[in-house]
Amino acid sequence: MKTPLQLIQTGSAAGTKQPALAIDRLSKVFHMEDGYLNVLQDICLTISEGELVCISGPSGCGKTTLLKLIAGFMKPGGGTIRIKGRTVTRPGPDRCVVFQEDALFPWLTVAENIAFGVRQFMGRRQLNNEVDRYLEMVGLGSFGKYLPREISGGMKQRVALARVLILQPQVLLMDEPFGALDAQTREEMQNLLLSLWEKLSHTIIFITHDLSEAVTLADRIIIMTRNPGRIQADITVPLPRPRKKESDAFHRFYRELRSRL
Amino acid sequence: MNKPDIRFPVLPWIIPGILLAAWFAASRTGLVPDYLLPDPIRIAESGVTYIFSPPDSAPYAGRFLTDASASLLRVFLGFSLAVLLGIPLGVISGRIAFCHKLMSTTINSLRAVPGISWLPLALVWFGIGMRTTIFLVAMAAFFPIYINTAAGARSVNPLFYQAGAMMGVGRIRGIFAILLPAAMPQIISGLRLGLGISWAYLVLGELTGVSNGLGAIIMDARMIGRIDMIIVGIIVIAVMGRISDVLLNTSLRLCFKSAKRMT
Ligand SMILES: Nc1ncnc2c1ncn2[C@@H]1O[C@H](COP(=O)(O)OP(=O)(O)OP(=O)(O)O)[C@@H](O)[C@H]1O
Ligand SMILES: [Mg+2]
Repeated sequence: MKTPLQLIQTGSAAGTKQPALAIDRLSKVFHMEDGYLNVLQDICLTISEGELVCISGPSGCGKTTLLKLIAGFMKPGGGTIRIKGRTVTRPGPDRCVVFQEDALFPWLTVAENIAFGVRQFMGRRQLNNEVDRYLEMVGLGSFGKYLPREISGGMKQRVALARVLILQPQVLLMDEPFGALDAQTREEMQNLLLSLWEKLSHTIIFITHDLSEAVTLADRIIIMTRNPGRIQADITVPLPRPRKKESDAFHRFYRELRSRL
Repeated sequence: MNKPDIRFPVLPWIIPGILLAAWFAASRTGLVPDYLLPDPIRIAESGVTYIFSPPDSAPYAGRFLTDASASLLRVFLGFSLAVLLGIPLGVISGRIAFCHKLMSTTINSLRAVPGISWLPLALVWFGIGMRTTIFLVAMAAFFPIYINTAAGARSVNPLFYQAGAMMGVGRIRGIFAILLPAAMPQIISGLRLGLGISWAYLVLGELTGVSNGLGAIIMDARMIGRIDMIIVGIIVIAVMGRISDVLLNTSLRLCFKSAKRMT
């Protein structure tokens, strides 16, 4: 039983709670030899903790650029990005990226890739245990000794997921991570991601150009437009979980979304 | 993992075999006179004398150990010097565009100078002997090592650095944890090219009148008309060059995971 005082305290704590991610009037310009490109203009976006947000939009609208700005790989032209109230200035293990392309280190085994970010903080025994735990978590229990080039694309993305989960990031940034996979593998990976998300309750920003993937995964879908890159729509997905791709409600919402874009 | 291809084990020895047979035929039939190309058996005998006979029992007898160790030391010192300069400079110029721009014109101009034209200068600076040879070897081996390291460092996938940065790896640690392993295949080819050239320039350095060394033997034998010993010298250099290449390759693969897994 909670006393009224405790209720007030937790209530006020929730009231001052910082959003997991707050982006305010963010802009980015790329300067090139023959002029410049307004990739992102006036992006405002607030994401609360534990939310799974999908970002979609045409190719070249600046989705990857937005993600890299959040990750701290480059500096914004204007505006701010805050994680739990702290302004992003450089990359850090609190915001981890699963890249669009394969970015595993080819000279390290699967297990060594996963250990890469934490190996200097742990003893050998603890490290092995942790790595095994995350291997298990992404369903790669017996593949620790393989090299990246010896495993399939889907398995590579599982490794990419494990090597960032082990860092226990506040925000997980995923850039079309399943875009290159076949339909069946992609669905497996979506289910894996959802089950991990339910277990670990990360905040996730997930870029996809596949609207049905967005409807399957997201609490909220952000649609961007091109030239300049702006947010066109911010739509809450009203479907209950677990979502069935075959259900009528899913189809109705998907069609409605399509027609609005 | 790349497994060595174990099929056709005799394949590499077919061409040497044919060459040897042709050589036999040429000298036995008198097609080529003995003073231009002696019989393989005589070469073999001279080689055995050179390597195994007790010293002073015949000209060149038993000198192999002194010559080979002198040459090996020169190659080792010259090559090490080239590695110590070439890899760090290559990494710096490959990672920092500013340094690349700063150095590339100078280095490419120097590279265009044929190594042999450094010889007179080296003789003036260092005199005849050890230091001239080491200078020439280092000079020659530096360029392939530097250029391959720089090219390898420049072509590292930028995603690797970004992935490293998010996993808490900064610029300095990134050199050892990301740049060097990622560029390892190119660094290895640079090292192997450099080592090969080291042997070439060793002979050049030793031709100038040092008293021992494999190049010295060749020059000495030419002076007194012992063509068999010239050929023995050539074969010894070829064999030692090949062995040192294998040793370099094997030790890199033993020491660096990236060398084993990416080549
Ligand atoms: N480093 C850069 N320098 C200059 N222009 C860039 C750079 N990175 C991206 N761009 C340009 O910015 C625009 C947005 O690129 P971005 O990669 O963010 O698009 P995207 O929405 O992720 O596209 P896709 O769906 O194809 O992945 C593109 O026109 C691209 O050519
Ligand atoms: Mg993209």
